[in-house]
Amino acid sequence: MKNIKMKSSFVLALTLLLTVVLSACGNSSDSSADGKVTISFLHWRGEDTQAFQKIIDQFEAKNPNIKVDMQTLTSDQYQSTAQAKLTDGSVGDVFASFPGAQYAALSKAGLYTDLTNESFLKNYNADLIDVGAKDGKQWAVPYQLVYNQPIYNTEIFKKYNLTPPTDWDGFLKLCATLKQNGIIPIAFAGADIGPGQLMNTMVMNNEPSEDIFTKVEAGQAKLTDEFWVKTLTQFKELNDNGYFQDNSLGTKDAAAGALFIQGKAAMLASGSYQLAQNAKQNPELKQALLAPITVSADQAKYEGVHTSTFMLGVNSRSKHQAEAKKFLEFLSQPDVASQYANETGQNVTLKDITYDSPELKIAGDWADKKTIFQPRFTILNSENQKAVTNSIQSVLGGATPEQAAQDAQAIVDQQIK
Amino acid sequence: MMNRKTLWFFMLPGLLLYTGLFVYPAVSGLFYSFTNWDGVSTSYDFVGISNYKDSFDSIVFRKAFFNNVKFMLTVVIIQTIVSLVLALILAKNTRTRVFLRALYFFPAILSSVSVGLIWSFIYDPSLGLLNTALTSGGLEQFTASWTGDANIALYAIAFVQIWAHAGQMMIVFIAGLHAIPEELMEAARIDGATRFQIFRKVTWPLLAPSATIVVSYTTIQSFKAFDLIFVMTDGGPNYATEILTTYIYHLAFSNYSFGLASAGSMIFLVLLGLLTMAQFKALRRGGANG
Repeated sequence: MKNIKMKSSFVLALTLLLTVVLSACGNSSDSSADGKVTISFLHWRGEDTQAFQKIIDQFEAKNPNIKVDMQTLTSDQYQSTAQAKLTDGSVGDVFASFPGAQYAALSKAGLYTDLTNESFLKNYNADLIDVGAKDGKQWAVPYQLVYNQPIYNTEIFKKYNLTPPTDWDGFLKLCATLKQNGIIPIAFAGADIGPGQLMNTMVMNNEPSEDIFTKVEAGQAKLTDEFWVKTLTQFKELNDNGYFQDNSLGTKDAAAGALFIQGKAAMLASGSYQLAQNAKQNPELKQALLAPITVSADQAKYEGVHTSTFMLGVNSRSKHQAEAKKFLEFLSQPDVASQYANETGQNVTLKDITYDSPELKIAGDWADKKTIFQPRFTILNSENQKAVTNSIQSVLGGATPEQAAQDAQAIVDQQIK
Repeated sequence: MMNRKTLWFFMLPGLLLYTGLFVYPAVSGLFYSFTNWDGVSTSYDFVGISNYKDSFDSIVFRKAFFNNVKFMLTVVIIQTIVSLVLALILAKNTRTRVFLRALYFFPAILSSVSVGLIWSFIYDPSLGLLNTALTSGGLEQFTASWTGDANIALYAIAFVQIWAHAGQMMIVFIAGLHAIPEELMEAARIDGATRFQIFRKVTWPLLAPSATIVVSYTTIQSFKAFDLIFVMTDGGPNYATEILTTYIYHLAFSNYSFGLASAGSMIFLVLLGLLTMAQFKALRRGGANG
């Protein structure tokens, strides 16, 4: 009798344990008894949850049989755990991904549902969603649009009678004028985002090609080639002339932003995504975007850099693909996308959008300019990406451009199989 | 005395959890280290030992390993000395000892991420507290780009690691000091030994077990450091603070090279195992001597 009791207790304990463990791995997207389908929307934009929740409420009101369960992770967590969650299909009927390495990995794993024939694609600016297409099919729709060029303080420029230059000599002269007047020309977050942001506009005309880094990763071009050594040389020139703030390699994003917001620096090497945040912290700030042109005016092919990001896809392992597509279609309606843009301060990749804040209009004006997709995101191997940005840090730390390029190429060579 | 079945009954939930959360991931990590799995796909190929070969050939892996060793040695040597000195001062019956012990122990209760963020702000070269204080104190020549200069970034983080954990190790030394019989000290003093002689001939030999614990713990902790470096520099600038754990993390979660990252983890596990075995050996010897 005692043994039977013991066995029963053991089985009960084990069952409880397994229930606890397995319930943690449960599927959050499912159909309930009343026929209502719950789909999961997984992304990393925690700051957008309020705006998204309003949109979800509207969607649910129009589609009473579909419930959207939004889950957000931090962007770091998203990089590290989202793929596992998506792979087992437990969450993320609709999910976001970063362009570059993450999109490439998820795409290779077959996690995207083909959206090629979906009618809502016509709502998007076709040039801006290329990054979600592969082999002639559209797998994901990038929702946000960012211009990755420095922001400048228009009041400071006005004060010193400066205008955005059209060539490298002009840019150096502009920086010299600012420095002479005690203004830091460029606030540069060398410790984190700086190299990865500024390299885009610095390289875009030195090698005006959309696939130069693809060639580097394929072994058909090298970082020791002229385009990259020249780019590093120009970074060194900016640094040696004191056009970045002192000790820029130790400066993080927030501190560089503070220098710009406080008016100590005239330019901030980040991107349009920072405009709304800057305005929030200093409503008096007047801002615009400019890209350093690293060649002579007649050689300049591009005026700036854009990135289509926050790529939304439908999980191929989802049980509710039709409902997931319906939600994606809702997000793609111009009025809904306008609402999202205006509430979050992010530009979007869709057509017929009404932007109602000056910051969104600043970036919106760039839609007609000749921009190239962010070169850094065309590097799909993150080790290579790091080697490239680290070569900038190496030069700012005192290495020669040739040596820094050679060291970075040695790492890239190891990645080429 | 409990019978075997009862013992198993109470152990089984723990064993199951341990197997599920530690043994299974370790074994599957070993398995994936022989594949080219990207961490996402459902299929992968076996690649033999090529991930291990690639790891040893990797320039970044080698840099990370040497940074690991530098970081570990710096932390172990300085932290042991600092915590010993603090313990020798605060083991005495002074009026402020409780307050000071609490003060030095305080950083140990903060999470590494919080510590990293706080020190990132302190180290900021333009707006940070450290450079501002040095400048205000007329010591401008000592200001630096603490985490931006490749020559000092690793040591700047090692300082934070020491700051965060020296108080903890101080407690171990204080416990060791309190275990030393007062009569021995008294006898040494009666024999006319100087303070230094008492420390060298009495205190230090009897503190050997505590010292071994401190050195062992600090060695392992500093070798598998991750949070501080991840938060403060993420391995930069230009790999100056890249260590094995951050390298493995980047491979797995930024580059989707799970197979290669698993091989790196296995190498790391072996290195840590060897280090731990050496420590246990030293611990036994220290205990025997002590």
